[in-house]
Amino acid sequence: MPVNAYARTHRGFVLACALAALAAAGMSAAGNGAQEYTIAIEAMRFVPATLSVKRGDRVTWVNKDLVPHTATASAKAFDSGSIAPGGSWTYVATEAGTQAYVCAFHPTMKGEVSIR
Amino acid sequence: MNFKHTARILVLSAAVAAFAAQAQGPTDPQIAAIVVTANQVDIDAGKLAKSKAHAKEVAAFAERMVVDHEGVNQSARELVSRLQVTPEPNATSESLQQGGDENLAKLEKLSGQAFDRAYVEHEVAYHQAVLDAVDKTLIPSAQNAELKALLVKVRPAFVAHLEHARQLQASLEQVGGLEHGE
Repeated sequence: MPVNAYARTHRGFVLACALAALAAAGMSAAGNGAQEYTIAIEAMRFVPATLSVKRGDRVTWVNKDLVPHTATASAKAFDSGSIAPGGSWTYVATEAGTQAYVCAFHPTMKGEVSIR
Repeated sequence: MNFKHTARILVLSAAVAAFAAQAQGPTDPQIAAIVVTANQVDIDAGKLAKSKAHAKEVAAFAERMVVDHEGVNQSARELVSRLQVTPEPNATSESLQQGGDENLAKLEKLSGQAFDRAYVEHEVAYHQAVLDAVDKTLIPSAQNAELKALLVKVRPAFVAHLEHARQLQASLEQVGGLEHGE
């Protein structure tokens, strides 16, 4: 029993170390070098409004406003649908190119994701 | 028509400005009533416009006004409940309600493109008037930091709505001579 307990604790320690190493590596999420990016939606703007990522990277929009928003690419590459206040939506960048996007609900809100 | 409409908005602005002219602005309970009423008036107009709008862009805008202002009002209600502030009706909130009722009565009688133009024209003037009140009276007068922060937080939505309404107004004027408003 104490041995098992030690093993469990040890495994937990190893896992904690691995997670800490990931965290220390910044935004790196997966072994393939993919990065995680966050775009805040606040005060009816995308922040940052322009973002450059690599194929395979994950981009998450986080809605910090009191009203729903979308991230909708003009060329239809992605469309979040409605993101509720406090909610988020993640897009895995697949196709290279520059994607201009808007909030389909609020035409004054514009952004751009460049995928290289 | 335009003159009467503008006059009504001016009455609203005057009611808000009356606070500014006094030594002190509205109290927090009065501000709470103004915020909730201002949102509710636009929700009511949006609900009518969703069903009566001619152009689909106008219907989509109306739907957005209902959703967004309900979202703002939910946050406002949660905050005043948490702060144990009881909204206190006052000359400004009553003027907003009266102006909203008159707007609904006017819109009820209209249809087609005339409805769209009247609704959108009022939305432009209304958001401008509410923004003026937020900037000149409500934010400067708010005492509670959280109430002030809520006003600051919702302000950009009113700006975006105003710009959206102006864009709609411009596109409605462009198709004014055509038979279909799209």
